[in-house]
Amino acid sequence: MEATDPSAELELYTIPAQSSWFVWDDIHEIERREFEEFFTESSITRTPKVYKEYRDFIINKFREDTSRRLTFTSVRKFLVGDVNLLQKVFLFLEKWGLINFSSSLKKSNHLSSLDNAKFEQGTPAGIRVTATPNSLRPITTPPLVEETTETGIKLPPLTSYSDVFSDLKKSDDVLVCGHCRERCDSPFYRHNKSIVNICEKCFKNGNYGENNAADDFKLIENSAAAVWTEEETLLLLESVLKHGDDWELIAQSVSTKSRLDCISKLIELPFGEFLMGSASGRLISSIPTEDENAEQVKTDGQHEETETREEKEDHVDEDEPQAKRKRVALISDGDSSLMKQVAAMASKVGPSVATAAAKAALAALCDEASCPKEIFDTDDYTNFAVDRADGDKDTDLEELQEDKDGPQGLPVALRIRASVATALGAAAAQAKILADQEEREMEQLAATVIDQQLKKLQSKLKFLDRLESIMDAEEEVIEGVKETIIQERVSVLQCAFRSGITKRWDHTYVK
Amino acid sequence: MKSLVSTGWKGPVKFRMPTAENLVPIRLDIQFEGQRYKDAFTWNPSDPDNEVVIFAKRTVKDLKLPYAFVTQIAQSIQSQLSDFRAYEGQDMYTGEKIIPIKLDLRVNHTLIKDQFLWDLNNFESDPEEFARTLCKDLGVEDPEVGPAVAFAIREQLYEIAIQSVASARESRLSKKGRRGSDHGSASKASGLSMDLMKLFSFKSSVVRKRKDLDVYEPVVDLLTSEEVDALEAREERHAR
Repeated sequence: MEATDPSAELELYTIPAQSSWFVWDDIHEIERREFEEFFTESSITRTPKVYKEYRDFIINKFREDTSRRLTFTSVRKFLVGDVNLLQKVFLFLEKWGLINFSSSLKKSNHLSSLDNAKFEQGTPAGIRVTATPNSLRPITTPPLVEETTETGIKLPPLTSYSDVFSDLKKSDDVLVCGHCRERCDSPFYRHNKSIVNICEKCFKNGNYGENNAADDFKLIENSAAAVWTEEETLLLLESVLKHGDDWELIAQSVSTKSRLDCISKLIELPFGEFLMGSASGRLISSIPTEDENAEQVKTDGQHEETETREEKEDHVDEDEPQAKRKRVALISDGDSSLMKQVAAMASKVGPSVATAAAKAALAALCDEASCPKEIFDTDDYTNFAVDRADGDKDTDLEELQEDKDGPQGLPVALRIRASVATALGAAAAQAKILADQEEREMEQLAATVIDQQLKKLQSKLKFLDRLESIMDAEEEVIEGVKETIIQERVSVLQCAFRSGITKRWDHTYVK
Repeated sequence: MKSLVSTGWKGPVKFRMPTAENLVPIRLDIQFEGQRYKDAFTWNPSDPDNEVVIFAKRTVKDLKLPYAFVTQIAQSIQSQLSDFRAYEGQDMYTGEKIIPIKLDLRVNHTLIKDQFLWDLNNFESDPEEFARTLCKDLGVEDPEVGPAVAFAIREQLYEIAIQSVASARESRLSKKGRRGSDHGSASKASGLSMDLMKLFSFKSSVVRKRKDLDVYEPVVDLLTSEEVDALEAREERHAR
């Protein structure tokens, strides 16, 4: 390959590494083989000179503007000769990437003169990836991109943990008058256009707040519809996952609420829309960053989870079974879906991403460490919170579940957060244990492998020793045979000499 | 045998289309009861003959022509095929003949004018492939243009192949037993082949001279409907 000439204005473009055999001044073996008809001296129209002219012309034509794709039709008018043959040369050059390889990417600002144009090889390791529509080479995509088409959960974009859960914390499902800041009993009045509510008292008093008229407010009578207790919310969530889109059944299971109430309540819940979306079957996942991965996991904590499972090692089927699993009733299997989601995500991303996500999750969890302590304030749980690396997670978490029913007064959100935190902590601990186990196993296996190798070597050495002794024995035997032969020869010669035969005769006879 | 005059002469070859696939160009122009059927396509001469009738019947059915066309179509195809086959037994000298092929045809709204060189001796040439590349490079969208171009090329090749058979026969008749030196005169006699010696010698370059560039450049025109109608009317008048 020619070196770049720093004095001239250079026009660099890439050609694939496997075309590095190409030399400007000469015709390579590959070309000779491909175009035998030029080199057989049987025709006047096909000579090496002609071939070289065709080839050089086409390449130079391409180099006049490397950003555009050179077409055969545009060059053939310049060259005299059979168009089929010209096309063969053209296709050959294109196939080897000597022309049209990196077209459309580079915008050259100037035309390089034909004499000074030199070109440099692309990255030596292989082909430089160009995402050109004209390129004939396959385009590699980063592996993560492909995973966006697989199933999983779809969340509103850039959902952050605090966004989701802070809303839950604040809105206690208790309606507060927008004006006097007291609890609104029903009936209350809701503004048509905004979400401002005012209680009956304020309405009567005419305290509508700024710029609002009496007409703007709508009387909302049905109190039962307004207030959702936690049990009802839980029931609602359960039944949504079980029944999916079937609002009749959901209304039945949440007995005190009508269909419309259920729907509106679900929409109000920060994650309600995604629940509805996921429940109706189409699951799309996005795995944007590692931190969001951790946060996604946490937002799944709307399920109540109890047990831990082997997560990272399990392989979870990804599409349909997961969708079905999400419809299963909440409490008992809620955690399985969470953990399995974690497992699915972990199995999809590369190991470095998974470790980073795990680290981020653990870091966030450490902030939450105080939470479980506050809520579950028994001795068992202080132990649990402190030594997380203990075994016997199941028993701890069963107690956890029992106790969870205890502090009823605590808002759902905090409980959920706590349980998420503990579950993930437990999961992390389990993971560490498993990882240690794996390491030990690996060491063991390595030791056995080394052992076997040693044994192999030893047996080989033994074998070679035996061979050597055999060879020694053979050597002795051969030595002996040699001796006898020499002796015989000597005796023959002696006889010969005694009987007066000359040496010369001896030689000729031997010949 | 390497004499300067007969470079490239491979000896007489049995007549066939000098392309990778031995396909015969068939042209149909049948008028009957006020209806006119014009068509052009390529036919594989090694197909069994009953295929001709099947093809004619299917064409009539697809185009909803009166049934009488079937026999006319079949007859026309058969006669052209038998012409082709008549030549098949004979020798042709192809030699190193590079001929210019001209295109000047109109397909629906597309007008193509082009000229390029074709080596008659290159039995791997492929008019269809050439037509495909032409349409692709020039961005021709009408899918009927490609086959029309290929057909035009084939027709011209066919003509020239026939001529070479004729000239071979003449030279054989006129000068018996001296076939070796005939080739040069045979190829020059056709008058079409280029002066290869001059073009491909050591001194000259294969890059075409500037003044010839315009001739050898493909030109594609897209016509409007009115122009198409005008041209069609003119063609009809010429035909009559």
